[in-house]
Amino acid sequence: MASGICIFAEHYNNSLDSSVAELAAAAHEIRETTGEKIQALVVAEESGTLIEQLEELGFDEIYVSHTQSDCIFQDDAQSQIITDMLKRIDPSSVLIPATAAGRSIFPRVAAKLGCGLTADCTELKVDKREDGTYYIKQNKPSYGENVFVTIVTREGLYPQMMTVRPGVYKAFEGQGKKSTKVIECSDIIIPASMVQVIACEAASSEMDSILSAETVVVGGRGVEDEESLTLLKAFARAIGAAIGGTRPLADTGVIAFEHQIGQTGYTIRPKVCISLGVSGAIQHTEGIKDTKLYIAVNQDVDAPIFNYADYGYVGDARQVMEYFLKK
Amino acid sequence: MNIAVLIKHVPVSNDVTVDPVTHALVRASSEGMINPADLNAIEEALVLKEKTNGHVTVFTMGPPDAEKSLRDAMAMGCDDSCLITDRCIAGGDTIATAKVLAKSIRRYGDFDLIMGGALSSDGATGQVGAMVAEYMDIPHISEIHKLDYINGKVETIKKYQGRNFTIQAELPALVTVCFGANSPRLATLRTKRAAKSKPMEIYTNAELGMPVDEIGLAGSPTAVIDSFAPESKRRAKMITGSPEEAAKEIKALIDKEEGKE
Repeated sequence: MASGICIFAEHYNNSLDSSVAELAAAAHEIRETTGEKIQALVVAEESGTLIEQLEELGFDEIYVSHTQSDCIFQDDAQSQIITDMLKRIDPSSVLIPATAAGRSIFPRVAAKLGCGLTADCTELKVDKREDGTYYIKQNKPSYGENVFVTIVTREGLYPQMMTVRPGVYKAFEGQGKKSTKVIECSDIIIPASMVQVIACEAASSEMDSILSAETVVVGGRGVEDEESLTLLKAFARAIGAAIGGTRPLADTGVIAFEHQIGQTGYTIRPKVCISLGVSGAIQHTEGIKDTKLYIAVNQDVDAPIFNYADYGYVGDARQVMEYFLKK
Repeated sequence: MNIAVLIKHVPVSNDVTVDPVTHALVRASSEGMINPADLNAIEEALVLKEKTNGHVTVFTMGPPDAEKSLRDAMAMGCDDSCLITDRCIAGGDTIATAKVLAKSIRRYGDFDLIMGGALSSDGATGQVGAMVAEYMDIPHISEIHKLDYINGKVETIKKYQGRNFTIQAELPALVTVCFGANSPRLATLRTKRAAKSKPMEIYTNAELGMPVDEIGLAGSPTAVIDSFAPESKRRAKMITGSPEEAAKEIKALIDKEEGKE
């Protein structure tokens, strides 16, 4: 009988993806009802520091498969390793970060196992069937965010597998360091891959700064004249923020292409984001995730950005920046 | 190079609401179009076609009116197309959909490269591409920004963790292209007219011959059991007053969040 809530421990550069702690929180929530074990699945070249990090998150079991090299982007091979591990672990559910890696590896795993894969869940709810077995209702947005649907894995089919959107669960903060069992899957065969990474270069340092910035100021169409941009830069400096722009601004060359945020640029995850003169087209708001504080200033009270921001002000962004700098 | 592009016929608008009683989806418009990211995939395919003197076939699975998207793709320069349509394949989840696509591609011919957009604007799972690759037992690279054909391999650029990775795959392979990776070419009156007479094959399950319990709703390991409107439309707390007061309030909010209060 399939049992256990298994989390894919995605990692990069020897550290767990921040969403793993969030999935741990989701798993603890499910466990309160089902009483199952919480398991981690790790595929890595070096697992020492990863295991230490996982132990802090209250896992009961950590299953590890060691590879000869980091198998990054070798999703044909990784999906085979993970499939073999899941057959051994036999969990009732698998929770995966809805990240570029999760979206790329697990569709293959789902096809190999013949189970489904629900994408980008924003809520997981446990329910009980008449025969006493538990199942997970997997809620996810569709058509932008206009509709939410509840998806379930067909009765009797395990594992129930889903990717979970980063940022919807708060990272697990319980006592970790209980007796975690580490299980080495040393007999699993690591297959050859038809995919090779041949180069990796850091994006420009300015770009790094916007990706890692905790505070970001974003300018839109409403601030594309030179005077406003000078103000925007001074404003960003005053609050120690990196500057990003929307697609129209990048297209007109006002802001470097690399500083463009949204579907055609980068996705950023700042703590604080202040947008000035940004209308809030979906292409743009898709590029800003998980902010703790989002303040939008725009002239148009009907701008969609006000359905996205935490705080809004209807008015002239330039005047606001001027007063801010005067203080 | 023989290239297949998988496209999706999506609603023109995401303006969809849920009927509070029946929970059925109510669409503001029934008009459809090529999924935006698929246009970027078509553009990459056409560039490769020109470079390698190749051939591009465009596939879609959907209702009969998805033909419009196939004609639009052929007006951009794709050579021929295949419409996969049958009541018994409707309502499938990503697994059931990918199975039918893989079978259709195999039946149609031998391809060196299969392409598609990274994400659809409606369901937005981003899963079907990799699943098709798995069912065809070929490698894939997802969510790429650039693509080239070098020394018999496909070479791509993928952005990840603030870095640009150059990744190669042996052919045949499947790649999915990010929205905005390029500027898709526009059809002209002349190419639109030409597209009307380009070949379009229609596959139903009579051609594919798949067991009906493996496709469509019946062949889906997952099922949608409910749909509902978001709890409340999110709305920002509005700051009122003069720009000066707003500036003060914004400063206070930032300071509070950054712990400088």
